[in-house]
Amino acid sequence: MHETVESTRAELQDFEELVRLQWSCIYRFILVSVRNADSAQALTQDCFLRAYSKRETFRGEASAKTWLMKIAINLVRDFCRSRRHQFWKRLGNSGATLGEVGDYLPGAEISPEDKASINEQVQMIWQASKSLPDKQKTVFLLRFVEDMDILEIADATGMKEGTVKVHLFRAVHTIRERLGRMK
Amino acid sequence: MSAHLSSEQISKWIAGDRTPDADRHLQECIQCSSEIARLKTVLAEFRSSVVAWSALQKNAEAPERWAISKPRRKFVHSILHWRLAAATLVVIAIVLTGKNISDRHRKAAEFQADVQLWEEVNAQISRPVPASMEPLMNLIAWDQESGNK
Repeated sequence: MHETVESTRAELQDFEELVRLQWSCIYRFILVSVRNADSAQALTQDCFLRAYSKRETFRGEASAKTWLMKIAINLVRDFCRSRRHQFWKRLGNSGATLGEVGDYLPGAEISPEDKASINEQVQMIWQASKSLPDKQKTVFLLRFVEDMDILEIADATGMKEGTVKVHLFRAVHTIRERLGRMK
Repeated sequence: MSAHLSSEQISKWIAGDRTPDADRHLQECIQCSSEIARLKTVLAEFRSSVVAWSALQKNAEAPERWAISKPRRKFVHSILHWRLAAATLVVIAIVLTGKNISDRHRKAAEFQADVQLWEEVNAQISRPVPASMEPLMNLIAWDQESGNK
Protein backbone atom coordinates (compact mmCIF):
# COMPACT_ATOMS: atom_id res chain seq x y z
CA MET A 1 0.00 0.00 0.00
CA HIS A 2 2.78 2.39 0.99
CA GLU A 3 4.63 1.58 -2.25
CA THR A 4 1.48 2.26 -4.30
CA VAL A 5 1.02 5.62 -2.63
CA GLU A 6 4.66 6.52 -3.27
CA SER A 7 4.57 5.42 -6.92
CA THR A 8 1.33 7.31 -7.55
CA ARG A 9 2.78 10.44 -5.96
CA ALA A 10 5.87 10.03 -8.13
CA GLU A 11 3.58 9.82 -11.18
CA LEU A 12 2.01 13.12 -10.18
CA GLN A 13 5.37 14.84 -9.78
CA ASP A 14 6.03 14.65 -13.51
CA PHE A 15 2.70 16.09 -14.51
CA GLU A 16 3.60 16.63 -18.15
CA GLU A 17 4.40 12.94 -18.50
CA LEU A 18 1.12 12.06 -16.79
CA VAL A 19 -0.76 14.22 -19.29
CA ARG A 20 1.08 12.58 -22.17
CA LEU A 21 0.27 9.08 -20.91
CA GLN A 22 -3.32 9.54 -19.81
CA TRP A 23 -4.68 12.20 -22.16
CA SER A 24 -5.98 9.84 -24.85
CA CYS A 25 -7.79 7.55 -22.42
CA ILE A 26 -9.42 10.41 -20.47
CA TYR A 27 -10.34 12.15 -23.73
CA ARG A 28 -11.81 8.91 -25.10
CA PHE A 29 -13.97 8.29 -22.04
CA ILE A 30 -15.27 11.86 -22.07
CA LEU A 31 -15.80 11.85 -25.83
CA VAL A 32 -17.81 8.62 -25.73
CA SER A 33 -19.81 9.93 -22.77
CA VAL A 34 -20.73 13.35 -24.18
CA ARG A 35 -20.33 12.51 -27.91
CA ASN A 36 -19.16 15.97 -28.83
CA ALA A 37 -15.52 16.49 -29.83
CA ASP A 38 -15.28 20.16 -28.80
CA SER A 39 -16.87 19.60 -25.40
CA ALA A 40 -14.71 16.52 -24.90
CA GLN A 41 -11.56 18.55 -25.50
CA ALA A 42 -12.65 21.30 -23.11
CA LEU A 43 -13.63 18.80 -20.41
CA THR A 44 -10.36 16.87 -20.80
CA GLN A 45 -8.41 20.07 -20.30
CA ASP A 46 -10.55 20.89 -17.26
CA CYS A 47 -9.89 17.42 -15.90
CA PHE A 48 -6.10 17.82 -16.04
CA LEU A 49 -6.24 21.37 -14.71
CA ARG A 50 -8.28 20.21 -11.73
CA ALA A 51 -5.92 17.32 -11.18
CA TYR A 52 -2.96 19.70 -11.31
CA SER A 53 -4.46 22.12 -8.84
CA LYS A 54 -5.49 19.32 -6.45
CA ARG A 55 -2.41 17.16 -6.78
CA GLU A 56 -1.13 18.19 -3.35
CA THR A 57 -4.28 16.89 -1.69
CA PHE A 58 -4.23 13.55 -3.55
CA ARG A 59 -3.75 10.76 -1.02
CA GLY A 60 -2.54 8.20 -3.53
CA GLU A 61 -4.93 5.43 -2.50
CA ALA A 62 -5.85 4.68 -6.12
CA SER A 63 -3.81 4.82 -9.31
CA ALA A 64 -3.36 8.15 -11.06
CA LYS A 65 -5.55 6.89 -13.92
CA THR A 66 -8.40 5.99 -11.54
CA TRP A 67 -8.07 9.36 -9.83
CA LEU A 68 -8.16 11.22 -13.16
CA MET A 69 -11.13 9.11 -14.22
CA LYS A 70 -12.95 10.08 -11.02
CA ILE A 71 -12.48 13.77 -11.89
CA ALA A 72 -13.58 13.09 -15.48
CA ILE A 73 -16.74 11.29 -14.31
CA ASN A 74 -17.71 14.27 -12.15
CA LEU A 75 -17.06 16.71 -14.98
CA VAL A 76 -19.13 14.62 -17.40
CA ARG A 77 -21.96 14.40 -14.86
CA ASP A 78 -21.98 18.17 -14.34
CA PHE A 79 -21.77 18.77 -18.08
CA CYS A 80 -24.69 16.43 -18.83
CA ARG A 81 -26.81 18.33 -16.31
CA SER A 82 -25.89 21.65 -17.89
CA ARG A 83 -28.46 23.58 -19.90
CA ARG A 84 -26.16 23.69 -22.91
CA HIS A 85 -25.97 19.92 -23.16
CA GLN A 86 -29.71 19.54 -22.54
CA PHE A 87 -30.36 21.97 -25.38
CA TRP A 88 -28.36 19.95 -27.89
CA LYS A 89 -29.84 16.73 -26.57
CA ARG A 90 -33.37 18.03 -27.10
CA LEU A 91 -32.48 18.94 -30.65
CA GLY A 92 -31.14 15.42 -31.14
CA ASN A 93 -27.84 16.88 -32.21
CA SER A 94 -24.59 16.10 -30.47
CA GLY A 95 -22.90 19.21 -31.80
CA ALA A 96 -20.01 17.79 -33.76
CA THR A 97 -20.21 15.15 -36.46
CA LEU A 98 -18.64 12.05 -35.06
CA GLY A 99 -18.93 9.50 -37.84
CA GLU A 100 -19.86 5.87 -37.47
CA VAL A 101 -17.95 3.86 -34.92
CA GLY A 102 -18.48 0.62 -36.82
CA ASP A 103 -16.48 2.00 -39.74
CA TYR A 104 -13.36 1.83 -37.59
CA LEU A 105 -13.45 -1.93 -37.09
CA PRO A 106 -9.88 -3.17 -37.13
CA GLY A 107 -8.85 -6.61 -38.38
CA ALA A 108 -8.85 -7.23 -42.09
CA GLU A 109 -8.57 -11.01 -41.66
CA ILE A 110 -12.31 -11.62 -41.17
CA SER A 111 -14.64 -12.19 -44.12
CA PRO A 112 -16.68 -9.26 -45.47
CA GLU A 113 -19.91 -10.96 -44.32
CA ASP A 114 -18.64 -11.41 -40.76
CA LYS A 115 -17.30 -7.88 -40.77
CA ALA A 116 -20.69 -6.53 -41.86
CA SER A 117 -22.44 -8.52 -39.14
CA ILE A 118 -20.02 -7.39 -36.41
CA ASN A 119 -20.21 -3.84 -37.71
CA GLU A 120 -23.98 -3.94 -37.34
CA GLN A 121 -23.73 -5.27 -33.78
CA VAL A 122 -21.09 -2.69 -32.84
CA GLN A 123 -23.35 0.05 -34.17
CA MET A 124 -26.20 -1.37 -32.14
CA ILE A 125 -24.10 -1.33 -28.93
CA TRP A 126 -23.01 2.23 -29.74
CA GLN A 127 -26.61 3.38 -30.11
CA ALA A 128 -27.87 1.38 -27.13
CA SER A 129 -25.12 2.65 -24.83
CA LYS A 130 -26.10 6.21 -25.71
CA SER A 131 -29.59 5.77 -24.31
CA LEU A 132 -28.58 3.97 -21.11
CA PRO A 133 -29.18 5.79 -17.79
CA ASP A 134 -26.11 7.82 -16.77
CA LYS A 135 -24.76 5.48 -14.09
CA GLN A 136 -25.23 2.39 -16.25
CA LYS A 137 -23.58 4.12 -19.18
CA THR A 138 -20.61 5.20 -17.07
CA VAL A 139 -19.91 1.74 -15.64
CA PHE A 140 -20.50 0.11 -19.02
CA LEU A 141 -17.98 2.41 -20.74
CA LEU A 142 -15.44 2.05 -17.95
CA ARG A 143 -15.70 -1.74 -18.09
CA PHE A 144 -15.98 -2.39 -21.81
CA VAL A 145 -14.16 0.57 -23.36
CA GLU A 146 -11.60 1.50 -20.72
CA ASP A 147 -11.14 -2.12 -19.65
CA MET A 148 -11.21 -1.28 -15.94
CA ASP A 149 -12.06 -4.00 -13.44
CA ILE A 150 -14.95 -3.83 -10.98
CA LEU A 151 -12.79 -2.57 -8.08
CA GLU A 152 -11.25 0.20 -10.17
CA ILE A 153 -14.73 1.23 -11.36
CA ALA A 154 -15.92 1.26 -7.75
CA ASP A 155 -12.97 3.51 -6.82
CA ALA A 156 -13.53 5.86 -9.74
CA THR A 157 -17.29 6.17 -9.34
CA GLY A 158 -17.40 6.07 -5.56
CA MET A 159 -19.94 3.21 -5.71
CA LYS A 160 -19.80 -0.02 -3.77
CA GLU A 161 -18.59 -3.08 -5.64
CA GLY A 162 -22.08 -4.66 -5.52
CA THR A 163 -23.68 -1.48 -6.87
CA VAL A 164 -21.25 -1.42 -9.78
CA LYS A 165 -22.15 -5.03 -10.59
CA VAL A 166 -25.88 -4.24 -10.50
CA HIS A 167 -25.51 -1.25 -12.86
CA LEU A 168 -23.25 -3.24 -15.14
CA PHE A 169 -25.67 -6.18 -15.20
CA ARG A 170 -28.57 -3.89 -16.14
CA ALA A 171 -26.52 -2.21 -18.86
CA VAL A 172 -25.35 -5.52 -20.34
CA HIS A 173 -28.84 -6.96 -20.16
CA THR A 174 -30.37 -3.96 -21.97
CA ILE A 175 -27.73 -4.14 -24.66
CA ARG A 176 -28.16 -7.92 -25.07
CA GLU A 177 -31.89 -7.43 -25.45
CA ARG A 178 -31.28 -4.90 -28.23
CA LEU A 179 -28.81 -7.26 -29.88
CA GLY A 180 -31.32 -10.10 -29.52
CA ARG A 181 -34.00 -8.04 -31.24
CA MET A 182 -31.61 -7.39 -34.09
CA LYS A 183 -31.05 -11.09 -34.81
CA MET B 1 -25.88 -31.35 -17.02
CA SER B 2 -28.18 -28.69 -15.60
CA ALA B 3 -30.53 -26.57 -17.77
CA HIS B 4 -29.04 -23.77 -19.86
CA LEU B 5 -28.13 -20.49 -18.24
CA SER B 6 -30.93 -17.95 -18.34
CA SER B 7 -30.54 -14.65 -20.17
CA GLU B 8 -30.09 -12.88 -16.81
CA GLN B 9 -27.42 -15.37 -15.72
CA ILE B 10 -25.50 -14.80 -18.94
CA SER B 11 -25.74 -11.02 -18.51
CA LYS B 12 -24.57 -11.36 -14.90
CA TRP B 13 -21.63 -13.49 -15.95
CA ILE B 14 -20.61 -10.94 -18.59
CA ALA B 15 -21.01 -8.15 -16.00
CA GLY B 16 -18.54 -9.95 -13.74
CA ASP B 17 -21.02 -11.40 -11.26
CA ARG B 18 -19.93 -15.03 -11.65
CA THR B 19 -20.96 -18.01 -9.58
CA PRO B 20 -19.19 -21.39 -9.36
CA ASP B 21 -22.36 -23.07 -10.70
CA ALA B 22 -22.40 -20.85 -13.79
CA ASP B 23 -18.67 -21.42 -14.34
CA ARG B 24 -19.17 -25.18 -14.09
CA HIS B 25 -22.08 -25.08 -16.50
CA LEU B 26 -20.11 -23.07 -19.05
CA GLN B 27 -17.34 -25.67 -18.99
CA GLU B 28 -19.84 -28.35 -20.03
CA CYS B 29 -22.41 -26.53 -22.20
CA ILE B 30 -21.30 -25.63 -25.72
CA GLN B 31 -24.43 -23.59 -26.44
CA CYS B 32 -24.06 -21.31 -23.41
CA SER B 33 -20.28 -21.02 -23.74
CA SER B 34 -20.60 -20.10 -27.43
CA GLU B 35 -23.18 -17.42 -26.54
CA ILE B 36 -20.74 -16.02 -23.96
CA ALA B 37 -17.89 -16.18 -26.49
CA ARG B 38 -20.01 -14.40 -29.10
CA LEU B 39 -20.84 -11.61 -26.65
CA LYS B 40 -17.23 -11.27 -25.58
CA THR B 41 -16.17 -11.00 -29.23
CA VAL B 42 -18.75 -8.33 -30.01
CA LEU B 43 -17.82 -6.33 -26.89
CA ALA B 44 -14.11 -6.63 -27.74
CA GLU B 45 -14.83 -5.42 -31.29
CA PHE B 46 -16.88 -2.58 -29.83
CA ARG B 47 -13.92 -1.57 -27.68
CA SER B 48 -11.46 -1.78 -30.60
CA SER B 49 -13.76 0.30 -32.79
CA VAL B 50 -14.26 2.98 -30.16
CA VAL B 51 -10.52 3.15 -29.43
CA ALA B 52 -9.67 3.40 -33.16
CA TRP B 53 -12.43 5.93 -33.81
CA SER B 54 -11.49 8.06 -30.80
CA ALA B 55 -7.79 8.05 -31.75
CA LEU B 56 -8.68 9.59 -35.10
CA GLN B 57 -10.67 12.45 -33.60
CA LYS B 58 -9.14 15.88 -33.35
CA ASN B 59 -7.45 16.56 -30.00
CA ALA B 60 -7.16 12.84 -29.29
CA GLU B 61 -3.45 13.30 -28.64
CA ALA B 62 -2.08 15.20 -25.67
CA PRO B 63 -1.16 18.79 -26.51
CA GLU B 64 2.48 19.25 -27.58
CA ARG B 65 3.12 21.57 -24.71
CA TRP B 66 1.34 21.38 -21.41
CA ALA B 67 2.72 24.37 -19.62
CA ILE B 68 1.01 25.40 -16.45
CA SER B 69 2.54 28.31 -14.65
CA LYS B 70 2.90 27.60 -10.98
CA PRO B 71 0.00 29.17 -9.11
CA ARG B 72 1.24 32.14 -7.10
CA ARG B 73 0.08 32.69 -3.60
CA LYS B 74 -2.88 34.94 -3.01
CA PHE B 75 -0.74 37.18 -0.82
CA VAL B 76 1.68 37.83 -3.67
CA HIS B 77 -1.28 38.41 -5.96
CA SER B 78 -2.77 40.98 -3.60
CA ILE B 79 0.56 42.84 -3.28
CA LEU B 80 0.83 42.96 -7.05
CA HIS B 81 -2.73 44.20 -7.36
CA TRP B 82 -2.13 46.98 -4.80
CA ARG B 83 1.09 48.02 -6.54
CA LEU B 84 -0.65 48.14 -9.88
CA ALA B 85 -3.52 50.20 -8.45
CA ALA B 86 -1.08 52.63 -6.78
CA ALA B 87 0.93 53.01 -10.00
CA THR B 88 -2.28 53.70 -11.94
CA LEU B 89 -3.29 56.39 -9.40
CA VAL B 90 0.14 58.03 -9.63
CA VAL B 91 -0.06 58.12 -13.43
CA ILE B 92 -3.56 59.63 -13.31
CA ALA B 93 -2.39 62.27 -10.77
CA ILE B 94 0.62 63.17 -12.92
CA VAL B 95 -1.53 63.53 -16.03
CA LEU B 96 -4.10 65.69 -14.21
CA THR B 97 -1.44 67.90 -12.57
CA GLY B 98 0.37 68.34 -15.88
CA LYS B 99 -2.86 69.35 -17.54
CA ASN B 100 -3.56 71.84 -14.74
CA ILE B 101 -0.13 73.43 -15.04
CA SER B 102 -0.36 73.77 -18.80
CA ASP B 103 -3.83 75.32 -18.42
CA ARG B 104 -2.44 77.89 -15.98
CA HIS B 105 0.44 78.73 -18.35
CA ARG B 106 -1.95 79.14 -21.22
CA LYS B 107 -4.22 81.46 -19.20
CA ALA B 108 -1.25 83.56 -18.01
CA ALA B 109 0.01 83.97 -21.60
CA GLU B 110 -3.47 85.00 -22.77
CA PHE B 111 -3.67 87.56 -19.93
CA GLN B 112 -0.23 88.93 -20.82
CA ALA B 113 -1.28 89.33 -24.47
CA ASP B 114 -4.45 91.12 -23.39
CA VAL B 115 -2.49 93.54 -21.19
CA GLN B 116 -0.05 94.25 -24.02
CA LEU B 117 -2.88 94.93 -26.46
CA TRP B 118 -4.56 97.20 -23.90
CA GLU B 119 -1.36 99.18 -23.45
CA GLU B 120 -0.96 99.53 -27.21
CA VAL B 121 -4.54 100.75 -27.57
CA ASN B 122 -4.00 103.20 -24.71
CA ALA B 123 -0.84 104.48 -26.31
CA GLN B 124 -2.64 105.03 -29.62
CA ILE B 125 -5.54 106.84 -27.97
CA SER B 126 -3.37 109.07 -25.80
CA ARG B 127 -1.28 110.43 -28.75
CA PRO B 128 -1.82 114.21 -29.35
CA VAL B 129 -1.61 113.74 -33.15
CA PRO B 130 -1.93 110.70 -35.41
CA ALA B 131 1.21 108.66 -35.84
CA SER B 132 1.62 109.82 -39.52
CA MET B 133 1.87 113.44 -38.38
CA GLU B 134 4.38 112.85 -35.63
CA PRO B 135 7.46 113.80 -37.90
CA LEU B 136 5.83 117.20 -38.64
CA MET B 137 5.21 117.73 -34.94
CA ASN B 138 8.92 117.03 -34.38
CA LEU B 139 9.84 119.73 -36.91
CA ILE B 140 7.50 122.22 -35.24
CA ALA B 141 8.99 121.42 -31.88
CA TRP B 142 12.50 121.89 -33.32
CA ASP B 143 11.51 125.30 -34.83
CA GLN B 144 10.09 126.45 -31.51
CA GLU B 145 13.22 125.38 -29.68
CA SER B 146 15.51 127.25 -32.14
CA GLY B 147 13.20 130.41 -32.06
CA ASN B 148 13.43 130.47 -28.32
CA LYS B 149 17.15 130.50 -28.48
